[in-house]
Amino acid sequence: MRLSIVVNLVLAFVALLFLAPLLWLVTASFDARAGFAAKLPEQFTLSNFGAVLTWDVGGRPLLNGLLISGGAAVVTVVVAVLAAYPLSRYQLRFRRPFLYTILFTTGLPVTAIMVPVYGLFVRLNLIDSLAGTMLFMAATSLPMAIWMTKNFMDGVPVSLEEAAWVDGASPMQALRRIVLPLMLPGVAVVAIFNFIAAWGNFFVPFVLLLDPAKQPASVNIFSFFGEHGMVAYGQLAAYSIVYTTPVIGLYLLVSRALGGGFTMSGAVKA
Amino acid sequence: MLLRTVTTGLTVVALGLTAAACGAPATDSKTIRVVYRNYSDFPQMDDFMKVVKKEFEAANPGLTAQLNPITSLDSDYLAKVQLMQRSPSTAPDVLFEDSYNVNADAAAGYLLPLDDQLKNWPDWNEQFIDATKQAGRATDGKTYAVPMGTDTRGIWFNKTVFAKAGLPTDWHPTSWDEVLAAARKIKQSQPDVEPMYMPLGKPSTEAVSMQTLEMLLYGTDTKDLYSESDKKWVAPSKGMNDALHFVSTAMTEHLAQTAAEAEDTQFAATQMTTRMSKDKIGFMIDGGWYARYWAPGGVSPWPEWTKTMGTTAFPTQHGQAPGKVTLSGGWTLAVGGSTGNAEAAFKFLTVALNKKNSTDIDVNCSWLPVRKDVRADPRLAEKDPTVPFWSDLVSITRYRPTLPEYPQVSNAMQVAADSVVNGGDPDQATRKWVEDVQKVVGADKTRNG
Amino acid sequence: MARNGKRVLAWLPPMAPSVVLLGLFVVGPIAWCLYAAFTNTALTGIAARRPQFVGLDNFKNLFTSADVGASLWLTVLFVLGSAVVGQNGAGMLLAVFMQRRSRVLRGIVGTIVVAAWVLPEVVAAFAVYAFLNTNGTLNEVLGALGLGGQNWLYTAPLFAVVLANIWRGTAFSMLVYQAALSEVPSDLTEAAEVDGAGPVRRFWHVVLPVIRRTVVTNLMLITLQTLGVFALIFVLTAGGPDNKTRTLPLLMYEQAFKFGQIGYGTAIAVVLLALGAVFSLVYIRSLKTEV
Repeated sequence: MRLSIVVNLVLAFVALLFLAPLLWLVTASFDARAGFAAKLPEQFTLSNFGAVLTWDVGGRPLLNGLLISGGAAVVTVVVAVLAAYPLSRYQLRFRRPFLYTILFTTGLPVTAIMVPVYGLFVRLNLIDSLAGTMLFMAATSLPMAIWMTKNFMDGVPVSLEEAAWVDGASPMQALRRIVLPLMLPGVAVVAIFNFIAAWGNFFVPFVLLLDPAKQPASVNIFSFFGEHGMVAYGQLAAYSIVYTTPVIGLYLLVSRALGGGFTMSGAVKA
Repeated sequence: MLLRTVTTGLTVVALGLTAAACGAPATDSKTIRVVYRNYSDFPQMDDFMKVVKKEFEAANPGLTAQLNPITSLDSDYLAKVQLMQRSPSTAPDVLFEDSYNVNADAAAGYLLPLDDQLKNWPDWNEQFIDATKQAGRATDGKTYAVPMGTDTRGIWFNKTVFAKAGLPTDWHPTSWDEVLAAARKIKQSQPDVEPMYMPLGKPSTEAVSMQTLEMLLYGTDTKDLYSESDKKWVAPSKGMNDALHFVSTAMTEHLAQTAAEAEDTQFAATQMTTRMSKDKIGFMIDGGWYARYWAPGGVSPWPEWTKTMGTTAFPTQHGQAPGKVTLSGGWTLAVGGSTGNAEAAFKFLTVALNKKNSTDIDVNCSWLPVRKDVRADPRLAEKDPTVPFWSDLVSITRYRPTLPEYPQVSNAMQVAADSVVNGGDPDQATRKWVEDVQKVVGADKTRNG
Repeated sequence: MARNGKRVLAWLPPMAPSVVLLGLFVVGPIAWCLYAAFTNTALTGIAARRPQFVGLDNFKNLFTSADVGASLWLTVLFVLGSAVVGQNGAGMLLAVFMQRRSRVLRGIVGTIVVAAWVLPEVVAAFAVYAFLNTNGTLNEVLGALGLGGQNWLYTAPLFAVVLANIWRGTAFSMLVYQAALSEVPSDLTEAAEVDGAGPVRRFWHVVLPVIRRTVVTNLMLITLQTLGVFALIFVLTAGGPDNKTRTLPLLMYEQAFKFGQIGYGTAIAVVLLALGAVFSLVYIRSLKTEV
């Protein structure tokens, strides 16, 4: 029992440590003259939220972000599930080299490839296209998504499909009717994982989209930075809260739907 | 095997697509794309462009100006604009360009030489101040950009602090020694005040080179960072060594901000403007634009600043003629090198920079005018009484030698200053700087000075 | 032959979309970068108009430059400190401690840790700055406890960015290990308990061997994710003071976008890619040795 109390205390302490950096976001967002210290506002105000909760600042960019990140997550999941099926079910000689090679590419910051990607987008006439940007984001998150999805799929016993094959179902029918429903929690995890990555991605939409009306929230956050490094901290903090809420909400929603556990079960295996 | 073939095939396709990045402009020649940076602390830029667009379209029926503001940090604005310029179909027709990039962008073919059009624009010949025309002139002698406004640098000092230290509130230092002497006096009389501030530390990037080291260097007998006459960079440089010694003295005697503050990425944004208003800084060697921050609605409103703050020019090392030194930068408008309608783009530029619009943008952005007729406008001094002082410095101002190699030479200067700020030996930092410069530009393109 | 052909047809259609997307948007651009690393391609200046093939010049400069060596070393330290030791250790600790806790406690602690992870990178960076700067929350707390604070971002910059990345990334390892631990057969640990093994020994000798493969794979994933970290460091220290936190991604950004030297910048990216491959090979090798 004593051990249990110690463990609880340690957990509470770690939670506090993780919570502490978030404190400033809350205090500064209500401070009329916010600086960079987490302290109770001398001049309490709601004007920071008022300033960011307009259509141009908080509305449209969030909607664009939802479109791009949501679209990218859906495309990634669909493509990754399709690719994972043969990787999980067939004896393919190139399986390991393929998986490792695409995984290596994730070590490269996306800034490294933006120059050729920009040129490519101009050629394909995809510059300033929300769909193009979404596709690119989906492509860059594919390596992790394929890797995780394949591992989730490995956890679904092949024997279940064999019965379906006997009944004359094609592999794709078996995938849709039998495998997919069983790995739905895993698919949800991959989707949210990619959504979060896309939601925070600044450089890709910044470079590939020209029209300011198409920019998502991750780009718009820089509208609080002025010339000579001046920053409107109160508004930045308020905006950060508004900007972060959807992803936290999504996480809570999904983990609730999965029965309280946002599980990575089986996602990470060699 | 097939996979490899498919992958290779795709790679080849992708390579072919990216490698040949040249195509016909996608926009029709009746529409011009105007690209500029949108700052949060002055929406004036966006408002300004909207007005210009309306006037331009009214005066030129059939032509359309498509506004393309970019919201970002300075460094990202540059990266994005240069990417856009690489592809003719997305290249801007009219571009809001830092005078700092004119040379390199001209060499890259991103900008159109404007000499022929400027020749026939009376305003250019009669109204634009000659010294400011340097801002848009490249090393090939052609002019690629027209300045919108400029800025100068000097000393802001706090009269309250000066009075307490027994220093004159009408201060005109005539040498570096007098500047340091004043700082020492402030330190003795008010230990909790930081005597001086100048841009230092890695986060201050280009400001360290321009506002600190070059302001110092240009006031020494070495005079130059780059010698126009023999087209050589001046390294080794006695003046650079002296400049680094000045920084070293300020740091070791604790006359300037601490090294930790200099390295703080948010210090300038969060502390500087407020500290000044709380009489916690004696003087700062910085640009003339602070009135914007202290104005009502600025980041650090301070109505009393006009009474408390004094301005004076930064002196040369020993008072060598002309006795004071200043540097200018500023923003320009340029025409894209691959524009489909150079005539329309230039027309837009002349509307944007006519007398009325120039005045508006200079007043709203606290920029110094580059036109004589705008300088005479009373609205400028009304909004900021120090404008006449900063404007007068324009006559002696100098621009940076922004050759394509300049960013790396400048970075080497920042590295040198940074090592001194963190306790390094100024002589060693100078030697390292010389090595770096010779590596960047080639030893044959440097000379002793 | 016929069977072989049939197989090819079987795997190709489902994999085609991913192969096309990856080939076009990932492999193609990386191939371009590999080529550009041998040129003087630039964003501006003469070289932007007429890029030239310069052979191994970029790599020669790279290997003789003290900057690159220092950045490489910093990157290795950053990865080892924040990912291999920090995120991995903290994630494991949290996962182990949260086993068999009440659902409420697990929910609260889990959500707080995950909040740092889902926070957009720039926002996370500002939050950590507010925590660590001279007037920040950490110093306030230390002051209240009678301990002296210090300017963490200046006196211990590498430590500060490592801490920031641990804070931000631990959730991933925690989620992975929570899942792995839940799959350790309980009869194994119970048997060890009956034999009188304490909690530490039980973890070390029974649990760890079972989840070994997950540990190694997790290490590989977080290593790759950490190698590319840019905005977090850029906002906190800009790579300073005195370039003490300028990891390879920051150096690359500086060269490629600040100086417009795309050729040299992509050569640095190649080094980064190679570093990732070296780390990964070590992990893969350690998986193969004893299974």
